[in-house]
Amino acid sequence: MDTIFQASAEAVGATVKRFTTTDAAVAYLAELAAGEPVAASTLPSGLRAALEGFAFAQPDSYPLTRTAVSYAHGGIAATGSLLIDLSDPADRGAAALASVHAVFLRASSIVADLGAAKEALETALATPGRYISITSGPSRTADIERVLTIGVHGPKELHVLILEGA
Amino acid sequence: MGKETITRKINDTFLRRALKNFAAAYPVARAKAFEGIDFEGLRGRIAENKRAGLKKLPRLIEDFTAAAESAGATVHFCRTPEEANRTILAIIKDKGADFLVKSKAMTSEEIELNHYLEKRGVRCLETDLGEWIIQLAGERPSHMVMPAIHKNKEEVAELFSRATGTECPPDIPSLVRIARETLRSGFLSGQVGLTGANVAIADSGAIGIITNEGNETLVSTLPRTHIALIGVEKIVPNMAEALDVITILPKNATGQKITSYASFIKGPTGDGRELHIVLLDNGRTSLAADPDFGEALQCVKCGACANVCPIYEIVGGHVFGHIYVGGIGLVLTPFFHGFDKAEEILKLCIGCRKCNEVCAAKIDIEGLIVDLRDKIRKPLGQKFLFGTMMKNRKLFHAALRTAYLAQKPFQGEGGRIRHLPLVLNRETANRSLPPIAEKPFRDLVEEQTRTGEREPATGEKVLFYSGCLADFVYPGMCMDTKESLEKLGYAVTFPQKQTCCGIPARYSGEMEVARDMARINIDVLLEEKADYVVTICPTCTMSLKHDFPKLLEKEPEYREKAAILAAKVFNFAELAARKTGTGDRGPAADLERETVTYHDACHLKRGCGVSAEPRQVLRELVGVEIAEMTDCDKCCGFGGSYSIKYPEISQEVLKNKLENIAATGAKTVAVDCPGCRLQIEGGLEAAGSSIRVEHSATLVAQRLKK
Repeated sequence: MDTIFQASAEAVGATVKRFTTTDAAVAYLAELAAGEPVAASTLPSGLRAALEGFAFAQPDSYPLTRTAVSYAHGGIAATGSLLIDLSDPADRGAAALASVHAVFLRASSIVADLGAAKEALETALATPGRYISITSGPSRTADIERVLTIGVHGPKELHVLILEGA
Repeated sequence: MGKETITRKINDTFLRRALKNFAAAYPVARAKAFEGIDFEGLRGRIAENKRAGLKKLPRLIEDFTAAAESAGATVHFCRTPEEANRTILAIIKDKGADFLVKSKAMTSEEIELNHYLEKRGVRCLETDLGEWIIQLAGERPSHMVMPAIHKNKEEVAELFSRATGTECPPDIPSLVRIARETLRSGFLSGQVGLTGANVAIADSGAIGIITNEGNETLVSTLPRTHIALIGVEKIVPNMAEALDVITILPKNATGQKITSYASFIKGPTGDGRELHIVLLDNGRTSLAADPDFGEALQCVKCGACANVCPIYEIVGGHVFGHIYVGGIGLVLTPFFHGFDKAEEILKLCIGCRKCNEVCAAKIDIEGLIVDLRDKIRKPLGQKFLFGTMMKNRKLFHAALRTAYLAQKPFQGEGGRIRHLPLVLNRETANRSLPPIAEKPFRDLVEEQTRTGEREPATGEKVLFYSGCLADFVYPGMCMDTKESLEKLGYAVTFPQKQTCCGIPARYSGEMEVARDMARINIDVLLEEKADYVVTICPTCTMSLKHDFPKLLEKEPEYREKAAILAAKVFNFAELAARKTGTGDRGPAADLERETVTYHDACHLKRGCGVSAEPRQVLRELVGVEIAEMTDCDKCCGFGGSYSIKYPEISQEVLKNKLENIAATGAKTVAVDCPGCRLQIEGGLEAAGSSIRVEHSATLVAQRLKK
């Protein structure tokens, strides 16, 4: 499933890396961040702990922060999509304002297609005040002469960090 | 539609190139996006669910409202555009705001929100790149999904230069970067954000929005007040149906498997935040309950009907539509914006049904357009033409015979008409016309019967319904049909009392006349016992087979008769194909197989679902190879009276067809429609081409004579 996911995500312009350890994934993220503070969405506690060496930007400086980090609750193989819970407005700001968006994805959370993500979506939307994003590749437009151009309003780069065996 | 506007669009080289390139690229991208997906199954399910949803629309509105409100949103149901505009203004004023930042919403175009707000001191900023471009240009979208497809980069650079006060180069990546930088400050300073929505889910109260640019997230997040303006037809009962819509929409719209972002929002997300959902009715609840036209609301606004429309490809969305463009735009305009706005545009459809083939919600777009023509004002003189003349077969046929004499002075070499006097001349500029024959087929066949020239054939009995064009212009084509079917083992007779199938009347909105023609022909064609009724004009086939039952569905006696007739009606190719593989009629091995190209008539392929049989007939009965042309099933631009009403457009559609024919290198174009033959032959002749156009029946007759 993660092979199909990778092909689909790459087809929509995402960079996909597969890691067997969280440490290796974190090292990749460190490279992306290049020592600058990152805008981090709500992360599972284990992952948050693994990022202890990182500097985190405050929400009011998100418009100037280059790299955002999120955690996906699921992946969709057919379209290379990520299910990201961005219910916290600060998380949304982080993910939408950054130029580079890095998203952790557990390989075991990948499902076949959009239809198979129905229950996950329903669960995620069970309570009020929810914002669930299905993100597939970087921000794009073809509004001028139908020429595909990446990074119009949202991130110019989307990196998917797949955690194998997790 | 003003002829000057049409001519201006036809002569807009950038627009033409942009639309032509898109028309070529779209089907390829679309096919790739649908790889591994059962499109028919998916759209069948969407159509069925949407149909069921529209039937209980008031209930869905109630359920959605309750669910969204219990999730903390405020729902405003607005009957009219005025009410929606007023409601949105009040929300903005309540926040003490004077600046609205927006992501794309067709509903906002529908109610002309920007215009309303700006007059009342609220500045609006469109952030979808295409919408921003047309906002700066002071125009309206020319496509539902690609609003600025008509603008080239030079025009965009000029607009951006004016907006930013600095010189912007006409380079697309840098224009996109300028938009990003310029609009960023808009997002950050916007006090209230407005979006549309692609789905609203009744059981959870969530809304779903898809974008590629990511501007929706910024619009709904950075300002603390979010307004979503949503047409009530977007409400679906549950997530499963919402996901079907989101699965099909981007594939059909732009040939993408999915957009970069699909967001589901349920209630305001956090303290001090507000979510206002403005549900727009504007005629939708009454349209949903309309048994004839309610189907139009199944639309998911993907714009595919424009993407494949041969007329849209020539004139673009500023001509082919009002605020909603493309085929479905023509249908929705009278209900959303009034019949006065729809009168001219409804005539622009050529009736090729290409839109029906791709519609995500399986709407009979072309059928609805034709039915709507019944509701608009008719041109002067039309009443006499259809009401008096067409209903009286003898009068109609006498007029055609008179026309034979009247045309004589205009016939050139070979008898074809190249120059007509004065105003009629425009029509023949790039197409010569065949003359009306001295003797129509009906006379030839009668003489044949009288002189007893031929043995009455035995075998399955076929009644030949020739159609007026073939009867009076192409009697040879009719004779070829009769002879080839007889050689293939059918017994063929021609009922003399048959008359026009009624399509010209129906397409002109004269439904009563069309019903009269249906009853007359049904009686004539059921009078004699026969196994089949064969036609050589797909428009007639479609009329006899599909339109008669529909036209007469409210008359029990004729409804039954129409069904009996419909079951017997076949096109020539279908009957001929049944005789492939019988006897030794296949291609002679010693003959060098000629290569022909085949043009699918719109009404044969999409009106009757026939496209394999004609090819089988050509290969197996005529013994030729087929060199398929690009867009073999795209309209030739004839469309019956369309080519007379809109000759400029018709000629441009024809040009595309001629280019595709020439590219195959074939010396013969096979068709199964006398109208297509007239159009293509006329175009080839006027261009001095030696390529010939023949009806399949003629090719079969010639082969069987050998």
